[in-house]
Amino acid sequence: MSNASIRRHLPFWLSIFAGVALWEIAGRSTSKAFMVPFSETLVRLWQLVTRGEFLTQLYDSAQLFLTGFLLALIIGAPLGLLLARIRVLRIGLEPYLMTLYATPMVALIPFILSMMGFGFAPKVLVVFLFTVFPVVYNTVEGARSIKPELIEVARSYRSTEWSLWREVMVPYTLPYMMTGVRQAIGRALVGMIAAEFFLSSTGLGQLIMGASQDFDTAGVFACILVIGLIGVGLTRLGLNIEQHFARWRQ
Amino acid sequence: MTETTIGSGIVANATTSRTALLKGNFLPRFVAGLAILLAWELVVRAAAPAYVAKPTTVVLAIPRVITDPAFLQAFGSTLLAVAEGLAITLVAGTVIGLAMGRSNTIDRVIRVYINGFNAMPMIIVLPLFSLWFGYSSGARIATIIFAAIFAITMNVADGARSVPREYLEVARSFRSRRLRTLTEIVLPASMPYLLAGFRLAAGRALIGAVVAEFFLSIGGLGYYILYNSRAYHHNEAFVGVLLLAAFGVGFELLVNWSTRRFMPWYRRDEKTS
Repeated sequence: MSNASIRRHLPFWLSIFAGVALWEIAGRSTSKAFMVPFSETLVRLWQLVTRGEFLTQLYDSAQLFLTGFLLALIIGAPLGLLLARIRVLRIGLEPYLMTLYATPMVALIPFILSMMGFGFAPKVLVVFLFTVFPVVYNTVEGARSIKPELIEVARSYRSTEWSLWREVMVPYTLPYMMTGVRQAIGRALVGMIAAEFFLSSTGLGQLIMGASQDFDTAGVFACILVIGLIGVGLTRLGLNIEQHFARWRQ
Repeated sequence: MTETTIGSGIVANATTSRTALLKGNFLPRFVAGLAILLAWELVVRAAAPAYVAKPTTVVLAIPRVITDPAFLQAFGSTLLAVAEGLAITLVAGTVIGLAMGRSNTIDRVIRVYINGFNAMPMIIVLPLFSLWFGYSSGARIATIIFAAIFAITMNVADGARSVPREYLEVARSFRSRRLRTLTEIVLPASMPYLLAGFRLAAGRALIGAVVAEFFLSIGGLGYYILYNSRAYHHNEAFVGVLLLAAFGVGFELLVNWSTRRFMPWYRRDEKTS
């Protein structure tokens, strides 16, 4: 490690260390029901992992997350391109998409529950609804920024609609779409936990709720720590994806 | 104005009428809205049980719901909690944000935590808050604050960092004290960031309130929706959702309007995320 990189990373690690120390002290000086020190949280986490409970729940959650997220991408991205290509459709639907984007989707969960019950499908629908609007919205924004000249040139070379999409629309829109993907990743995570809380409880959501109902504060902290780290990791991943494609932007 | 052009165009010239139709935003929006409502109505009538909400029955439910004292009480309770939570968030978030923006040491120490908490799906703190605060409205306020504060802090920190250097130099050459520079120069200069953060925070606060009410069964708009949809009163519950959506959109418009009205020199969308 070079001197410069140590200097850059030192404050970060110092601050992490201070935070953990503070957590440990706070946990030791208050009641066990209120807060649990960092060391005990890790011990509890290790118990959950070795009992196998943790990994099966993580797998369940990941399945839900990926299904909902990919479905949103597969439906949202082409829909966004279509809206961008057909002007009337875009103008017509824009205000409704905006309204849906601004609506707190959690409010729809009770309806989904009473109409679709407790299967896997309603939970996927929740993740999908949380995720799809940022993808559509950003794709439309991107496709709108395509220079009309490009489409005109493609047209004058008698390019077919298919190759126009493949060679102009998609490459131009991709960076914007990836901004949508970044926003969608965070929302999908919230949707996943919300679905696991309020529909049939499975996965990490069930793990943390069960711990809370058993007054197992250490379990609650262990779950929050892990889900928080997953959140940080996924946000990083989203930013990296976005930056990777942002180089295409002119 | 547009309608008259469209009306006369149809008779006079087919091509101009078509361009007028495409250019006017109102007509496609109106038609699309109508089509959505019609499709919803027909699908529900054809395929869903009678209790499922559809446009006609929701509209019929509106007068009944908004005169219902239970609904008004629930709405007021949520509104009050969101306002209270946002007020606390605004003050605390701005103070932390200013400190982060103007002091490198503070920024280095707490940035990693602010970013981390911001990336965390906020609803996972609900089980913890229910342990800490019990199933009470205190837990709801705490959830609202946790959901909203990082959006404001991060935006204010960005704003405070991007204050033009000249402003600070002028302040220093007039020997302005640190606190005074902060309140009279840095804070006003980062106002657009603050407003953008506030707009984000308000949406999250609303979601936080609804989720907390679902989870903790505290009386409020979210609980009203939950309760009614469990009792198969979907129409009544849907009026609640409409109100939430109107709330979200209304807040967005209010912030945009006040940015234009009070800070016309700043472009909208300068900083949104």
